[in-house]
Amino acid sequence: MITRPMIAAVLVATAAAASAAAGPLQVSSSILVEARSAAADGTTRVTLVKPTKVTPGDKVIFVLAYRNSGAQPLANVVLDNPLPRQIAYRSANPGSPAPDVSVDGKTYGSLATLRVRSPDGSTRAASPNDVTSVRWRLASPLAAGSQGQFAFQAVLK
Amino acid sequence: MHAKGVIRTLLAGTAAIVSAGTASAQTVPGPAGTGAGTTVTNTATASYSVNGVTQSATSNAVSFVVDRKVNLTVIANQQANTQVAIGKANVVTTFKVTNNTNGTQDFLLSANQLPIQNLFAGDNFDLTNLRVFVDSNGNGTYDDGVDKATYINELGADQSAIVFIVGDVPNDQAAALAAVTLIVQVAAGGDPAAQGAPLVPTVGLNDDAVVDVVFADNDSDGLGLDTALNGQGRASAAYEIGTRNVALSVAKSQVVISDPINLLVAPKAIPGAVVQYCLVVTNATVGTAAANVNLTDIVPANTTYQPGTLTIGLPGINPICTLPGSFIANDAGGLITGTTYTGSYDATAKRVTATIPVLLGATSVAASFRVTIN
Repeated sequence: MITRPMIAAVLVATAAAASAAAGPLQVSSSILVEARSAAADGTTRVTLVKPTKVTPGDKVIFVLAYRNSGAQPLANVVLDNPLPRQIAYRSANPGSPAPDVSVDGKTYGSLATLRVRSPDGSTRAASPNDVTSVRWRLASPLAAGSQGQFAFQAVLK
Repeated sequence: MHAKGVIRTLLAGTAAIVSAGTASAQTVPGPAGTGAGTTVTNTATASYSVNGVTQSATSNAVSFVVDRKVNLTVIANQQANTQVAIGKANVVTTFKVTNNTNGTQDFLLSANQLPIQNLFAGDNFDLTNLRVFVDSNGNGTYDDGVDKATYINELGADQSAIVFIVGDVPNDQAAALAAVTLIVQVAAGGDPAAQGAPLVPTVGLNDDAVVDVVFADNDSDGLGLDTALNGQGRASAAYEIGTRNVALSVAKSQVVISDPINLLVAPKAIPGAVVQYCLVVTNATVGTAAANVNLTDIVPANTTYQPGTLTIGLPGINPICTLPGSFIANDAGGLITGTTYTGSYDATAKRVTATIPVLLGATSVAASFRVTIN
């Protein structure tokens, strides 16, 4: 018999462990910031680190890592990341495929194809600030044991 | 069964976090940005199909706490110097403090009178009894005894407050200009009943669960007095002696010029004699001109003004009233060629008037006119 304290203890355990138990597709979300340091050759090295001090206007990078931990290939994999309301989308992170974006959570596409309806009924081209959700589709099935990650840049409003 | 129940609970928990984050972010942040202490939480979802069966997955919820980005703007909220008079008490300069921090803060206020010569050339005196007050009743005007708060309490993000520097002008005739500087320090908010401690930037590694303090203020004066990222802002304004009293004095003298018997030699004040009156006005205040000095005199009873004798110019030594080169007024008060002096005679009131538009400090001007004894 599971008592309430025990359930509470499980709830406190990391959510990542829970998603591992949920099914063959594991999705791990992380938020990182860029750290710049001078490399020995004089260039500036940019590494991604856990967010230190994050204040309005700072760039943050959202990383979605996925892995098929099951025994069967997974088809039609779609990763959807509704943006926290305090976050303004900027672009795909270098090295990551560009996501389809949405300004209403329903219609997805490249930013250039989207329009925003103003309160007076007119429409205008969508800007990165209008994006409310980003989405990636895997074109081919995700084989058992394989993994990958997507990332996008945003700023804290 | 147990495991499934737990998963369901967890998923519901994640959803609750997401919706909570959404609800708390309904208000669009102002220019200062998302409020310090706000937890930003991200959760991704995934859908996929296994053997044609669509399933879904939810990521972990990752979050961070928005840190405090400390910034402020301090400006002098007046276009020109405050015009004051010598010896006047409770003279006011007005400033505006804007909280550009993404959180509610207290602001500590102080003032100094260090001369800032490249901004306020001619700063030559200090106010006494210098104090700083907040515009407590929000009317933008200093109200003695009403605006008593000495620090800005609980100013919200993107909100502004008016602050006054109040002081007394010393009784010093040489005073001309006094610059004052308001220095504003960002302090901790959160306690409406007490003044917060000055903020200091968080040193060392961030704790995601704690609101760190990051200074983002600029160098507000460019003079080296303020520096960027010090949690302070400052602005300056000045008091200018706009009106001051000058020490004007008038000396009147008379001399008999001639009489019908003795003519010009030792003339006596007998009927028919000509008497010259001399008025000398002196401005004894060095460096300050007196404007629109009017000399008036009533022609004495039993005498008659001699038309065309009102003369205005530099004073001579008795018995000479006005030096050669002085200007003869035209009795009607019209312009006199070559000078800004004017003079007139009002036959009804029997009044002589000489007007000196500008009487420079430490100078004198004389006016003379003649009468005959009836």
